[in-house]
Amino acid sequence: MQKKRGVVDYTKYGYLFSIPFMVAFLIFTLYPVLYTCYIGFTTKQGLISEANFLVDDPFKNFREVLFESTLFRLALKNTVAIWIVNFIPQMGLALLLTAWFTDNRLRIKCKGFFKVIFYLPNIITMASVAILFRAFFGYPMGPVNDIVTKIKGPGSEIYFLIKKTTTRNIVSFIQFWMWYGYTMVQLVSGVLGIDPSIFEAAEIDGANRLQTFFKITIPSIRTILLFTLVTSLIGGLNMFDIPMLLANGGPDNATLTTNLYIYNQAFSGSYKYNTAAAASMIMFTIIVVCSAILFYCMRDKDEAELKKLRKLERKEQRKAMAGA
Amino acid sequence: MKKVIASALCLTMVGAAFAACSKDGGAKGESDKILNVWSFTDEVPNMILRYKELHPDFDYEINITNIPTTDQAYQPALDEALAAGGKDAPDIYCAEAAFIMKYSQGGAAGYALPYADLGIDVDKGIADAKIAQYTIDIGTRPSDGKLVALGYQATGGAFIYRRTVAKTVWGADDPATVAEKIGADTGSWDKFWQAAEECKSAGCAIVSGDGDVWHAVENSSSTGWVVDGKLTIPKEREEFLDISMKLKENNYHNDTQDWQEAWFADMKGLGQKDVLGFFGPAWLINYTIADNCTDEDSGVTTYGDWGVCNSPIGFFWGGTWVLVNKDTEHKEACKTLIEWITLDSSETGLQYMWANGTLYPDKNTKDAVASATVMAKSDGTVEFLGGQNMFDTFIPAGDYAKGDKLTEYDEKINGFWRDQVRAYTAGEKTREQAIEDFKVQVKENTTITVE
Amino acid sequence: MNSKKVSKAEQPLSLMIPIYVVCILLAVLSIAPFWIMIINATRSTTQIQAHAISFIPGNALMNNLEKIQDKDMFKPLVGFANSALISVGVTVLALYFSSLTAYALTAYEWKLRESFFSMIMGVMMIPSTVTTIGFYQACYRLGLDNNRLMLILPAIASPMMVFFMRQYLQASLQISIVESARIDGAKELQIFNKIILPIMKPALATQAIFTFVSSWNNFFMPLVLLTKSEKYTMPIMVRLLNGDSYKTEYGCVYLGLSMTVLPLILVYMFLSKYIVAGVALGGVKG
Repeated sequence: MQKKRGVVDYTKYGYLFSIPFMVAFLIFTLYPVLYTCYIGFTTKQGLISEANFLVDDPFKNFREVLFESTLFRLALKNTVAIWIVNFIPQMGLALLLTAWFTDNRLRIKCKGFFKVIFYLPNIITMASVAILFRAFFGYPMGPVNDIVTKIKGPGSEIYFLIKKTTTRNIVSFIQFWMWYGYTMVQLVSGVLGIDPSIFEAAEIDGANRLQTFFKITIPSIRTILLFTLVTSLIGGLNMFDIPMLLANGGPDNATLTTNLYIYNQAFSGSYKYNTAAAASMIMFTIIVVCSAILFYCMRDKDEAELKKLRKLERKEQRKAMAGA
Repeated sequence: MKKVIASALCLTMVGAAFAACSKDGGAKGESDKILNVWSFTDEVPNMILRYKELHPDFDYEINITNIPTTDQAYQPALDEALAAGGKDAPDIYCAEAAFIMKYSQGGAAGYALPYADLGIDVDKGIADAKIAQYTIDIGTRPSDGKLVALGYQATGGAFIYRRTVAKTVWGADDPATVAEKIGADTGSWDKFWQAAEECKSAGCAIVSGDGDVWHAVENSSSTGWVVDGKLTIPKEREEFLDISMKLKENNYHNDTQDWQEAWFADMKGLGQKDVLGFFGPAWLINYTIADNCTDEDSGVTTYGDWGVCNSPIGFFWGGTWVLVNKDTEHKEACKTLIEWITLDSSETGLQYMWANGTLYPDKNTKDAVASATVMAKSDGTVEFLGGQNMFDTFIPAGDYAKGDKLTEYDEKINGFWRDQVRAYTAGEKTREQAIEDFKVQVKENTTITVE
Repeated sequence: MNSKKVSKAEQPLSLMIPIYVVCILLAVLSIAPFWIMIINATRSTTQIQAHAISFIPGNALMNNLEKIQDKDMFKPLVGFANSALISVGVTVLALYFSSLTAYALTAYEWKLRESFFSMIMGVMMIPSTVTTIGFYQACYRLGLDNNRLMLILPAIASPMMVFFMRQYLQASLQISIVESARIDGAKELQIFNKIILPIMKPALATQAIFTFVSSWNNFFMPLVLLTKSEKYTMPIMVRLLNGDSYKTEYGCVYLGLSMTVLPLILVYMFLSKYIVAGVALGGVKG
């Protein structure tokens, strides 16, 4: 390609400035992912052990995790169950608060203050939160049991963290508690982005609060809702800190999540690196599918712009080819 | 101006980050007199620090890594440190009965340096100190028959009971009566159940939780968890399901879990019902019950209210073994410390001071130790037991200690089994389901074959 | 405020009372756990055992502090220093290189630009667990486990942040500024450092807060990579409070937790406005 004289070719800077990212990405993300994938096809168990490729039956580890492992299936089920129990009330409450906080006619005071307070738990280290709640649900003494005995009298202490459903629900509750503020702030900002004239028109048409909310607000923030749903699902599939530190996956594997399963396989003394690698690749696939849905949902927003860019690019390419 | 300060701050912090990170790399070249000691409690590290105090000429710096076994964090970290080697690798490391087999005989035995290679005359040392055979068996590496680990405690178990509770139930609190009532040395639980019923009718509980009985059950079984690489459930350990259920159904205990708050509350006498006793070795008395027998605020204490007698079924529980890394650069120092801890039966050796409570100036807890020579010349009379000489009980109890049922997977498998038993007694699943789930846990979390 | 025209403030009590009740309850729910934690940090274990909830601080703070130091495992200062080191490193690297990459994606026309951006979009959601096993193995074999740099350097490639930085640059970058700087003889990297970075300040500030906090709170990677207690970050350090030594020391557990949580609450008190605004922009990972 020949350039006109006097015009410096800046394209190289585009490459140049992307190099650090690319290098770091190759070393710290791509290579580990490929290596993980590779281990998934080997016999590697333990730090010193050889990684022999499974020649006869390359998919052995994957098959074992997917079809033969009771624990992986249980972990997947737990993960999804914990996420659903947290997400439905989280979304419900966030929507309710959004409806209240964005209602022009209500004029709630201290909105800013409430938002800040509701968001607070989200910023605190999950590990600390988990241990804090573990102390709260302590047996026989602990803040929660303190309340229980106050209501029901002494001797009525409950051993919360030994009950399967209760522990699972506590994990869900902590997730709910940490994330509803975040979801609400996002939804509120979505609603504030809606053209106010639509609400005015609705008001003039005599729509009541409920009608406005369900017929106008929700459809307008559909994209944000979907975005929240999918990011939350991905976050939920990666749940680790809280189940691990609250009850270490127990009691009786009731809070064993997929990430905890992977961690246990590889890092808690079993050294089944190959199983863990296979399980994490399977989780990766599941998450990629979810991400694909996410991008499909976000498409609306960027699509037009992307299309424009592509057109421009094609034009330029044609120009360049013609010039060559 | 603000910008300048902010960026300067950032730069210094990043600079500090890099400097701090590269430092560990740079330090590797130097050969300082630093001993890396790895343990899961502060017991052995403190011993070594005390040795330094007593012997000012021992000029090594002690670098302690103490990782609790909770959440099974100790072993992975230790394995990694051993495998990684280098300057930061442990020189001396400790292992507990529940996983010593892995480091002395199993997968990680290769990292251990035989005591003989330190220049210790092992045979003479053992003969002089009269170390119990099981400790030696456990610490001997099968691949070359060399001794790589020894402990310093004798962890044969007994029944540790509260005198006032015994008086309430049977009107007498001497060890002989209690031994008779619980069926000491009978090798069966029959009389124990009868005693449990008597405790119940007196409004007391015979034990705090099923965990107290577990160690007696565990060590009295005919085989270990793993035979020829395959999981086996010994009959005795399977029966623990029924024992635990019986305790729970009949309300014989306070249904506590060992090492949980309610368990400690029972030691203070502040639990639901007064508890007659706990099964355990001498260390349980000194480091657990004695530490937890007093309620600081109310001043309620069970101090001095305890006694020991033999258990219905002999057992041993716990114990710490000490190993040396084959790659240590400080053999001389390791030799000194290892000998002092494990084989020195003189009055300046660790075990004598340990047994007589003279190691630390401010603590005078006594403990049964591995060397019979030391035990013979030590006095186990403690105020905590109302003046009873505990060695009278713990020396014979040591005979029950056998290492042949230990496997390197015990810590994990015991955890799985206890969890399932708990779920079964809580009524969450059937007996069959509990066993089935236990097998799944072992199969998927370990490399043991399960059929 | 164009809605003022139409909407009159109507505040029926039947609706307002429940709204405020719910909001205040939720506010209490947000604050109470931390309040109980802080109060209990000042009370002795026996006081806590008698009544785990109290509104009056106790007098055992110093006592608890001594006990924590006695245990010789939970070292909040060490954890704090390590966390600060790593989080600052991560934040600086991620901000600088993400901006640089975003700039490369916005200001220059290059052939692979589109595919590069698509790739960034594609890898945005790779969770750390997927890379962990391979990453750990590689670090381990190179003797780089327990090396804090391994927790800092990966921040150079932060796809999520590149995405948001690019978004921001596209809206705020006027290529004419760059061109005039070029005419003045500035070099490309100089232009980025002196002109573009200041333009991006608002975005950098928001991203800095979130990157710092999420790095501070990161648990999984440090847990796997760091086995030496002197390298532990705060979240890993806090895990020790679950250990046997602290089983019966409730005062210590609460105090230890307070030490990890209070700095974050303090930071939040000062920056909450920006943080909430940042969340509203959708600037954080969910």
